[in-house]
Amino acid sequence: MSTLLQEIEAQISGLKTGVARQNVGTVREIGDGVAKIEGLSGAMLNEMLDFGDGIVGLALNLEETEVGAIILGDYTAIKEGQEVRTTGKLLQVPVGKPLLGRVVNALGQPLDGKGPIDTPTFYPVEKIAPGIIKRKPVTQPVQTGIMAVDAMIPIGRGQRELIIGDRSTGKTTIGVDTIISQARLNRAAEALKDASHRPLYSIYVAVGQKQSNVARVIAVLEAAGAMPYTIIVSASASDSATNQYLAPFSGCAMGEWFMDNAMDALIIYDDLSKHAVAYRQVSLVLKRPSGREAYPGDVFYLHSRLLERSARVSEKFGNGSLTGLPIIETQAGDVSAYIPTNVISITDGQIYLETDLFYQGIRPAISVGLSVSRVGSAAQNKAMKQVAGRVKLELAQYRELAAFAQFGSDLDAKTQAQLERGKRIVEVFKQPQYNPMAVEVQAAVLWTVQNSLMDDVAVDKIKDFQAKLTEYLTTRKTAVMDKIRAEKAFSDALAAELKAAVTEFKQTYR
Amino acid sequence: MKISKQARRDARELFRTCMVRDALDENRARQAVAAVAQTKPRGYLAILSHFERLIRLEIARRTARIESATALSPQAQGQIQSDLTRQYGAGLAFTFTQKPALIGGVRIQVGGDVYNGTVQGRLAALQQSA
Repeated sequence: MSTLLQEIEAQISGLKTGVARQNVGTVREIGDGVAKIEGLSGAMLNEMLDFGDGIVGLALNLEETEVGAIILGDYTAIKEGQEVRTTGKLLQVPVGKPLLGRVVNALGQPLDGKGPIDTPTFYPVEKIAPGIIKRKPVTQPVQTGIMAVDAMIPIGRGQRELIIGDRSTGKTTIGVDTIISQARLNRAAEALKDASHRPLYSIYVAVGQKQSNVARVIAVLEAAGAMPYTIIVSASASDSATNQYLAPFSGCAMGEWFMDNAMDALIIYDDLSKHAVAYRQVSLVLKRPSGREAYPGDVFYLHSRLLERSARVSEKFGNGSLTGLPIIETQAGDVSAYIPTNVISITDGQIYLETDLFYQGIRPAISVGLSVSRVGSAAQNKAMKQVAGRVKLELAQYRELAAFAQFGSDLDAKTQAQLERGKRIVEVFKQPQYNPMAVEVQAAVLWTVQNSLMDDVAVDKIKDFQAKLTEYLTTRKTAVMDKIRAEKAFSDALAAELKAAVTEFKQTYR
Repeated sequence: MKISKQARRDARELFRTCMVRDALDENRARQAVAAVAQTKPRGYLAILSHFERLIRLEIARRTARIESATALSPQAQGQIQSDLTRQYGAGLAFTFTQKPALIGGVRIQVGGDVYNGTVQGRLAALQQSA
């Protein structure tokens, strides 16, 4: 027995209690959520710093004698002279499917009171975007359910499409409609057990928004049953500028997890103007040199590195995608301001919303002339392409003619016909909010307009005609609609069937 | 005090002249301070205060502070000194202090590097992990 005790004692004495080296510094200055720390000679850029008591900072400025760090959370408890430690870890957030249906902050912590998020996977907030070899062209559509967008400015999976416009012109609504549309498509495919359907998960990042607006978006998504497919990352106006700066990157990391795991995701940054303002604040208190409009010199890189992470990756890397829908708020329609031009040049197109159109009752108030999708047409549904190919041009011609026609009443028959067609197209594209349409319905309605079957309907009756036609086609002509959905193109036979159905409907329409 | 970029640059220049073979020459530092105080160039107070900071950080970088709960034997002190010299090079200044609040073990700090093998440190780590 005594030998056993001696052995154990010998083993215990032989055990080394390894003392790890830690790198420490002391707080020299604290204020506005930014700390200047002396020491920390071994700190890395974007490394998490431990201030004790669960307070974490992020090293953003590495200078000759000190480190500038932003504090994530409550900085009022931090005092001058306090000890700070490096952690050797980069800032990371939880990712994965358990986040779906949840509302989280910029650090991925739950805000919805539904308990902790149980996920073993974490992703770094800052990550290098996929390289050229990993990528693949955009070929699959994102059905936004908004007819004007799906017809004229199609968006593909992996694309970055900017939504830009003045305040209260319906920018957020386009994003929310898209989320609702994806949720409906996902749910329909689940019900049909359609294995070919690739579900599209959504992430809505609210930056600098009013809490009431975020609450309203959540309520709309809940009412539409879209929350099970959606993650909401909220850094509202009352959150610190550091959290507002980090929120889009956190949301992007959550989206990247879907992309890396062979799934598709959609991320809406609402909005990047406020994100730039938050970053300007952080940069100014860190005493970084300021440039135009007091924004730091790297504000372009801030947005380009964020949006470059949206991509479609090739089959070899899982065939996943991350579609980005950044939102930018302009001041008095000025698209040539600093941040709007930056983001316009980064993205693959923009949806421009106009205040004038909005107040004329044309909602969504999409300006056809200024909106463009640079890569989406390759991803557009073929049936849609057949019927919508000429719409953008016709609508642009209509706007020009309408302005010209105001000066005279004598118009030739051709111009008159163009004006009448234009008026009908404008009416058809009007769509109530939170009411996305199925792609086959959009195609059928546009086909009807393009084939002069709505020419004899009065302009003020177009919306009524469209609603009743849609109801008729979806309830009594389901076979035709199923064919459009399945074939994804208008063959001569299908066109004849649809023509017969519309003609039959017109006979009963009052 | 607001220290301008120029003052920082001047203080750094002054500091460089006080370094001889990667070590601080105290006499040169004293001479430099006396010269600046006498000639009073533009922003001399800012230059001196930044210079003082650079000197303070340099001294901290080259000083090993060894804290222990009880007094260390001369052998243990010698062992620690030789180990640290091997790691950080010659020219380190050593200060040994006694701190009963550490309960047991030794805490060594050289510049920003800390080796905390004290009971107090482990209890704090345990408390944080709990």
